[in-house]
Amino acid sequence: MGDVIRTDGAVPGRNVGEYFRLQRWEIPSAPGGLPELAGRTPVDDHQRGAGGGLRTGGLLTSVDSIGGMLSGLSVQPQWIVTTSIMASISRLSHRGPLRLRARVLRRGRNAVVTGLDVVDEGDRDLPVASVTMTSAVLDPGGMELHFDRPIHSAMPPPAADPQGIEEFFGIEPGRGAVTRLDLADHLRNPWGILHGGAVAALADVAACRAVAADRAGGRDGPGDGTANGDWRGDGGGLAAGDMVIHYLRPSRVGPVEARCRVLGGRDGRTLVRVAVYDLGADHRLVDLASVAVVDA
Amino acid sequence: MGAAGYPPARHLLSDLGIEAESIAESDTLARIRATPHIAAADGGVRAGVLATLVDLVGGSEAMRAARPDRMVTADLTLQIVRPAVGPFVEGRGRVVRRGRTTLVIEAGVFDVSGDGSEATAGAEHAPPAAWATMTFAIHAGNQSKASGDEGPQLPARWSFTGAGLEGPVVDALSLSEAGVDGDEVSMPVREYLLNSFGAVQGGVMALLGEVAAIRGFERAGGLGGVVVTDLQVAYLATGRVGPIVSRTMVRGGDGPGAAGSRRNAVIELVDEGEGGRLTTVINVGAVFSGPPAGDRP
Repeated sequence: MGDVIRTDGAVPGRNVGEYFRLQRWEIPSAPGGLPELAGRTPVDDHQRGAGGGLRTGGLLTSVDSIGGMLSGLSVQPQWIVTTSIMASISRLSHRGPLRLRARVLRRGRNAVVTGLDVVDEGDRDLPVASVTMTSAVLDPGGMELHFDRPIHSAMPPPAADPQGIEEFFGIEPGRGAVTRLDLADHLRNPWGILHGGAVAALADVAACRAVAADRAGGRDGPGDGTANGDWRGDGGGLAAGDMVIHYLRPSRVGPVEARCRVLGGRDGRTLVRVAVYDLGADHRLVDLASVAVVDA
Repeated sequence: MGAAGYPPARHLLSDLGIEAESIAESDTLARIRATPHIAAADGGVRAGVLATLVDLVGGSEAMRAARPDRMVTADLTLQIVRPAVGPFVEGRGRVVRRGRTTLVIEAGVFDVSGDGSEATAGAEHAPPAAWATMTFAIHAGNQSKASGDEGPQLPARWSFTGAGLEGPVVDALSLSEAGVDGDEVSMPVREYLLNSFGAVQGGVMALLGEVAAIRGFERAGGLGGVVVTDLQVAYLATGRVGPIVSRTMVRGGDGPGAAGSRRNAVIELVDEGEGGRLTTVINVGAVFSGPPAGDRP
């Protein structure tokens, strides 16, 4: 008999979902249909970015949690692993809380596609993001996941010692357009691999830093997005908007390193290619992302 | 490239005049002439045509990498960094990861001259005009034996040459209005638009999504000259019967629609002939490039 994880949808411990105080509830399906899943995250001040709202990396962490859980529920007793997220961001400034609603768009033998809408519940349900995520169906092996249905978990209380997103995720600036993340235990999902939301948070921070580094290089060097290697500033005043992430391979060892290339921009947006490597696993490429960085 | 007899004599790919080349085992490029018939409001090649170009690049690459297995496009993203104005526009793709059931490819889009050199002077390693990614789903062991004339170890060139477009590429889709208020777009399924598997080509679906989004943005208000810069396309099912009809949800954006302000929309494409089956979901990002041409001083 393998391990049994019994959960109401919230995994025990001060994990990623608890950090964003993510509340979840299932919307039962009509007979023969697939369930939907909803969530709510309050947008605490220490999680806000330069855009005035929840940082996009943080938003996609909640998206990954809700969409991933719905995808998993739709294929039980099998489970899933996220393979891609495509996020179109309509608004960077939020009052909060944000409400998420996920539905299954397609359930195939090997993959599940989920669509999510995010609105600002505190501001007339204005649209915040439209996201499509794809998950690969996997055999859970000896692990048995049990959920009390319908899913319902209350919003966790505020943290007594609030940490900023970079601190919680262990994200630290490297040199120039390089940013690192330590793969701490609280960032692992039940399979022991880096949470997809942590990759989104890393891509967010790394891309903003890369644009700032590129601009600094424009004054002091070539400004080609890869130079100015001694620069160690932050991405203050910049915010991540649209983001695409391909989860190519699991990150199990760490630290993981985001290496960015600024591709150019138009109309106040700068596109950054972010390649993420697991340094502890022979520096292999684990994720490939693109982030549209905007001046906040 | 493609199954024997594909594409037929009259086909969108031929009228676009796409030329392609496999330059290494894991690198493919394809080129198209930038003409006014495929231009967006800012003068660059429109996003849906670039999506068609990179889908062809990615599909060629995936076909080589996945053989003898068959593959279909599962998702495609395209982000335009600056207008792609030519004289030619070239897509260059490479495999990022080949797994058991999926294959991920990234592609850049570059302005090049007629001889294939970078169009921007002194820009040997110029940044791309657009960047794209694609995921292909692999289906075991059923790629047609006639599916490719490019051996995986041999350089190969091919081209689709037709009569050329007689007008704007959108006219070639034979679109009509649909929906209660005529606010949606309907596209018949014709051989002219099909891929080698007999379904509407993925790039054509992206182009239809671009058209539907622009229509939605214009009807929602704002100054004219809408340019789609971002496409995030999820292919859920093939469109085989038709007509393919759009459902547009404008998701807002910043500003009142002034020049430089952005808009977002979600476009769903359903196959009416298949009982309204949802085939494609497209997240679209766009920018207002300025007043409509007729209002400019």
